[in-house]
Amino acid sequence: MDLMVVLALLTPPFAAGVLALGVRRAPARVAWLNVLTMPISLVAAGAIAVRLATGGTPVVVGEMWRIDALSALLAVLIASVATLAVALGPGTAREEHSQAAEIRTFRIYVNLFAFTMLVAVSTVNLGLMWVAIEATTVTSALLIPLHRTKASVDASWKYLLIGSVGIALAFTGTVLAYVDVAATGVDINVALHWTALREAATALHPQVARLAFVFLLVGFGTKAGLAPTHTWLPDAHSEAPSPLSAMMSGVLLAVALYAVARWKVIVDVAVGSVFTDSLLIVVGLATLAVGSLSLLSQTHFKRLLAFSSIEHMGLACFGLALGPLGTFAALLHLTGHALAKSTTFLLSGRVLHRFGSGTISATRGLLATAPKTAVLIAAGMFALGGLPPFGLFLSEILIVKAGWAAGHPLLTTAVLILLLIAFGSLLVQLHRMLFGEPPTGIAQGERASGAVLLLSVPVVLLAWLGLSIPAPLQMLLSKAVMVIRP
Amino acid sequence: MDPLMTDALVIAAQTAFLIVIAPAVVGYVRLIKARLQGRRGATIIQPYRELRKTFRKGMVIAESASWIFHVAPFAIVGATTAAASLAPVVSTVQPADLVGDLFVLAALLMLGTFFLALGGLDPGTAFGGMGSSREMTVAALTEPTIAIAVLTLALTTGSTSLGAITGTVLKTPAYAIGPGHALAFAAFLIALIAETGRLPVDNPSTHLELTMIHEAMILEYSGPYLALIEWAAAVRLTLLLTLAANLFLPWGMATSLVPAALTVGLCAIVVKLAILGMLLALLETRVAKLRLFRVPELLALSFTLALLGAASSFFTK
Amino acid sequence: MEAAFSRITMTAASAMLLLALVVLWRRHAGAYITAFRTQSIALAVTGAVVASYGGASELFFVSFMILVVKGWIVPSVLSGMDAKRQSARELRPLLNTETSLLVSGALAVAAYEISRPLAEVMNLPTRGGLPIALALVFVSLFIVVSRREVIAQIVGFLMLENGIALLALLGAYGVPLIVELGVFLDVLLGVLVMQAVVYQIHDTSAD
Repeated sequence: MDLMVVLALLTPPFAAGVLALGVRRAPARVAWLNVLTMPISLVAAGAIAVRLATGGTPVVVGEMWRIDALSALLAVLIASVATLAVALGPGTAREEHSQAAEIRTFRIYVNLFAFTMLVAVSTVNLGLMWVAIEATTVTSALLIPLHRTKASVDASWKYLLIGSVGIALAFTGTVLAYVDVAATGVDINVALHWTALREAATALHPQVARLAFVFLLVGFGTKAGLAPTHTWLPDAHSEAPSPLSAMMSGVLLAVALYAVARWKVIVDVAVGSVFTDSLLIVVGLATLAVGSLSLLSQTHFKRLLAFSSIEHMGLACFGLALGPLGTFAALLHLTGHALAKSTTFLLSGRVLHRFGSGTISATRGLLATAPKTAVLIAAGMFALGGLPPFGLFLSEILIVKAGWAAGHPLLTTAVLILLLIAFGSLLVQLHRMLFGEPPTGIAQGERASGAVLLLSVPVVLLAWLGLSIPAPLQMLLSKAVMVIRP
Repeated sequence: MDPLMTDALVIAAQTAFLIVIAPAVVGYVRLIKARLQGRRGATIIQPYRELRKTFRKGMVIAESASWIFHVAPFAIVGATTAAASLAPVVSTVQPADLVGDLFVLAALLMLGTFFLALGGLDPGTAFGGMGSSREMTVAALTEPTIAIAVLTLALTTGSTSLGAITGTVLKTPAYAIGPGHALAFAAFLIALIAETGRLPVDNPSTHLELTMIHEAMILEYSGPYLALIEWAAAVRLTLLLTLAANLFLPWGMATSLVPAALTVGLCAIVVKLAILGMLLALLETRVAKLRLFRVPELLALSFTLALLGAASSFFTK
Repeated sequence: MEAAFSRITMTAASAMLLLALVVLWRRHAGAYITAFRTQSIALAVTGAVVASYGGASELFFVSFMILVVKGWIVPSVLSGMDAKRQSARELRPLLNTETSLLVSGALAVAAYEISRPLAEVMNLPTRGGLPIALALVFVSLFIVVSRREVIAQIVGFLMLENGIALLALLGAYGVPLIVELGVFLDVLLGVLVMQAVVYQIHDTSAD
């Protein structure tokens, strides 16, 4: 039974990617088939999540796979964002007319990308998790320069190089921890399993554990867009095609933070949580500052969203360091951010297509030109700014509350100020886009299409999240918190 | 015999050995180079003949030369001889250890370089000034390397006295196969090449003034002064080769002042000088002279090697 | 016997670190690739030595894979990339050679200091080489950061991977086989993807 559900989670994206690789003709049909396969993973992830939320035991298959509440939460996020991206990518979006080669490339790599992310969160072997995260870099780097422009190719190279170097540093941390664990006499076949590591963590030497965590934080932090190794993020996320940006901003950053959280549990057993908490607070605050303060000066819409991702990841990182309440808030924040950011990026794709330009000054008068898209974008931006009634408002308030409770009043005040700055900046930029005279030559008016309908679903979910967290989600989040903070 | 007399004899003998054999070493290197280049080459004793000839010639001294010009050759000879008296040539029993250690030796060599540079600057010629400035640049970059290579040796053997270092390495050969020791040796060899003005840093047989470093400083010297400076340069080369051989690879040295052991030690140093001289000639035949602004790169490399060697020795005790 | 084993692995590790320094000193892309190839061969030899002394027989297979993948396939791919590079000019890094060498010397000393507690708590005979492996990691990181040209950055990244593999080898006689295979796959795929992206860079910047 467990095997079936894990297969149902992992096989659809892999099979879809291989199918797109093998079938060269009729890319449009392959694309539509793809739209049907991804929801299978979503259903499987949902089933696992429900089982875990209602008190079930983690899904275990063999020695390699173990899905507990934290993994289930992330699997649901990955599958939902992937479903959206796959449904609205080249080949299925009616307005974009992409070339056959582009459609095929997109379908191959976006599925493999989703597959690697799902593997990363489902495996119990932390070495395999590392391999999967490295594979995400490789699969997404080929997809960024889908439309061959100098900017996108350069952005892809920067992403690939900085990401690979960061991942290599994360591997250094993994190796250091492994070296220490292996010396304690644990069975080396399971030495890198998260469960076994957690048991053996009391035998880890404190200096080694601390050194390893520094490497792991810098390494996986690079993939999560944490300062100071975030410099690849604005370029990569803005130059990539919108569905890929949605997946990268929405869930890949969260998967990297997931990796940090997994290792944090182990290092906390070895040296107590003060060390990792302090590091996370410093890095989170720095990242949040970089993100918030860069928002107002952005001229490109997708770069604006990319810096907003940096800001939110910094906040989530900060929240992870603030005890159980902060961790709950951080996980809720990742959930809300995944929905909001992916929706906004996908909508930005529609805007880019309509206006032919990604700069904010060239996309004025959105409200008049494409009202439905404009309303949805406004909702997305409000959500990202932390405005009620959307879910991100709730998680931000909870993080602030957790910060006060954990005894960091000055830092929490700084966080609050930065969040307000971000909120203001986003509103200003939104205002520039919605109102004003639309440029000449742009088609006016918008008919209700499947895409708009599909994209309004996450927005509604976000509002629901903000008004009252649905009970199953709350249970799942609580169980996930208990994984990180037992 | 009175111990003081024995000590004085040992020191005098080793110093005399180095001074006498120095031109032969230079001649030997030239001969090997010539043979490698397909020429017959002059005999090993040719430098002696050249020195005798130069000593007999008259001197022409520039009008703008001051007392420094006259003092410099003697200062160079004095400093180099003093440095030579500190070197362990044949035995690890070094009475001179009481007087000076590796740092004193390096400082004496530097004193010689300093006066040479002054002598080059003194007459006020363009080439002399150019040679002096280049020489001081190279010397400034090799001094840290030598200091740190010395430090590596001192760290592993626990002393900076030359005799003590050679004695300790001889007793515990395990020191010599470590990466720290090997790195320090490599760094010392590169510094040796730079200090003695051999290829690839400086071509000792060039006649093109703009490519000279060492030769440019002594362009104004003639007659006995020139002979003294050339001899001092030969002694410096022999001294540094002896140090490289005995500090890092001291096998064959006498551990006591027994005549049999001393004879073995003498043969050992001759063999080591021969091998090192051959390697030096091989290197000079193979490489081309580095452009001047590439020399700091080579010296930075040797400094980094010395630093790594010292770090290895320090951290992996 | 154990002392000899320890010394041999330390010497091989030092040779790998010195090859990284060679990369900082030379200016031709071909020298970079040769240095990487030699370093990978040294790594394979170290793996074989550890396998024969430490009794971990799967390390023989791993050393063979290192020899094939990093000692042959990847340098060939890199040489192909270099041949396509338009200019045959020297590589010009962001920092000059002297400063690069001095910085890497300082990084090596820093790595030695940082890994001192690590080497003290390990009990394998190869623990003397752990500081050298960490120094290689730091120096490779510096190479990646201070290079302008893409091929130099790639070589630096590959040396970083070599350093981490050395760390695993000396610290725990290698990581579990499945992780090792995954790492190989990643390195190979990574280099191929880098090659693809670099060709795209050449295509888009040709005009």
